Amino acid sequence: MADPLHQFQIQKIVDLPDVTLPGIGPVDLAITNSHVAMTIAFVVVVAFLAIVTGGAKVVPGRLQSVGETLFGMIDNMTDSIIGHDGRKYFPFVFTIFLFILAMNVLGMFLSFTATSQLAITATFALLTFGLVLVVGFARNGLGFFALFWPTGAPLVMRPVVGLIEFFSFMLRPITLMLRLFGNMMGGHIALKVFAGFVATAVIGTAGAAGFFIAPLSLGMTVGLTALEFLVAFLQAFVFAVLTCIYLNDVVNLGHGH
Amino acid sequence: MADPHAPAAADAHGAAADTHASTEADHGSGGLPQFEFQHWGGQIIYLVFLFLVLYLLIDKIFAPRMRRVFDERAETIGKAVEDARRVQNEAQNQAEAGQSELAEARASARRSADAAKARVNEDIARRTAEAEAVQAGRVAEAEGRIGKMRDAAMAQVEAVADDTTKAIVEKLTGKTATAAELKAAKGAA
Repeated sequence: MADPLHQFQIQKIVDLPDVTLPGIGPVDLAITNSHVAMTIAFVVVVAFLAIVTGGAKVVPGRLQSVGETLFGMIDNMTDSIIGHDGRKYFPFVFTIFLFILAMNVLGMFLSFTATSQLAITATFALLTFGLVLVVGFARNGLGFFALFWPTGAPLVMRPVVGLIEFFSFMLRPITLMLRLFGNMMGGHIALKVFAGFVATAVIGTAGAAGFFIAPLSLGMTVGLTALEFLVAFLQAFVFAVLTCIYLNDVVNLGHGH
Repeated sequence: MADPHAPAAADAHGAAADTHASTEADHGSGGLPQFEFQHWGGQIIYLVFLFLVLYLLIDKIFAPRMRRVFDERAETIGKAVEDARRVQNEAQNQAEAGQSELAEARASARRSADAAKARVNEDIARRTAEAEAVQAGRVAEAEGRIGKMRDAAMAQVEAVADDTTKAIVEKLTGKTATAAELKAAKGAA
């Protein structure tokens, strides 16, 4: 049976010389299958947006309706979660949503899923976390630390609750990173394993039991494939929602928090 | 989920060490390919680059375009609704105007009908009066004539009576009665 982890292997397609960046160390600039997947996702997103907004009509066609639904969904979300200032952060949330969605969905068609790479999800998580920090300090200055000072709690409890708040805040990028990574990797491993069972049964390795294993596993594979499409959308959406919630914490710090 | 290289390692011990070592190197220390940190740098840099480009494209081009379409649509719909409302008002006004015009026309028709009727009635009354006057004149004239004829007849009756009396008196007395005697006799009778 094929190794279900093989699909996550980074393979170099074009090897380029390493570059040593100051403070980071040597970086391998080779073009890998991960780079290709990211590029395809990027091109798909840009092409989609270009088609949707290029010939945009007042009465939308099919593709334009899809684009406008996605756009309206994220626009409503930033508006309802962040409030009046939400429109300023819309491009960031929309970018992260579309990029993750494209990578997730393309993972269902290509042999490589970019969002099942920890490096990718960590980058997305750190981009969000970094933006939250930058916006937090830029809007509130040192008042940003009021985020960890729970005014609703009794005075004695405040340092304790504040500490908990601080740790939960610092864990946000990690949970963001692991949630997307775990969902995408887990789903693709499960798919591969059940598909592998089908292959094993069909070539006769499992003997007579194969007659039962093959249809069962095939059914599982079909079901999981449908589920994975749902997860692909849902995880991108969850990432966008959490980005909005985290941004809201620092944008509307002090009022209505 | 067996490692595909494991059987090879079991078969040939000599070459197995090399194969296994290289497999370990490929898979990294933890076994998951995602933890091969030598691939992280390139992916992260490329992703950040793509993300920034996509962010700028969406922020500067796609989002404003989309918003323009939304605004345009809202404007179009608003204008259409306003137009519809205006046309509706206009239609209502026209309907009201038509209604009042109709009422006016009806009233004027009634007025002119009444006027015509009054004129006709008056005409009839006048003509009747005229005809009656003519008839009355004729009747009066006829009555006058009848009266005259009666008077004449009465006068003749007197003369006849006189003559008759004279004749009777002559026959009876042999004398001719005078006019005064006749008159006295007539008065006594």
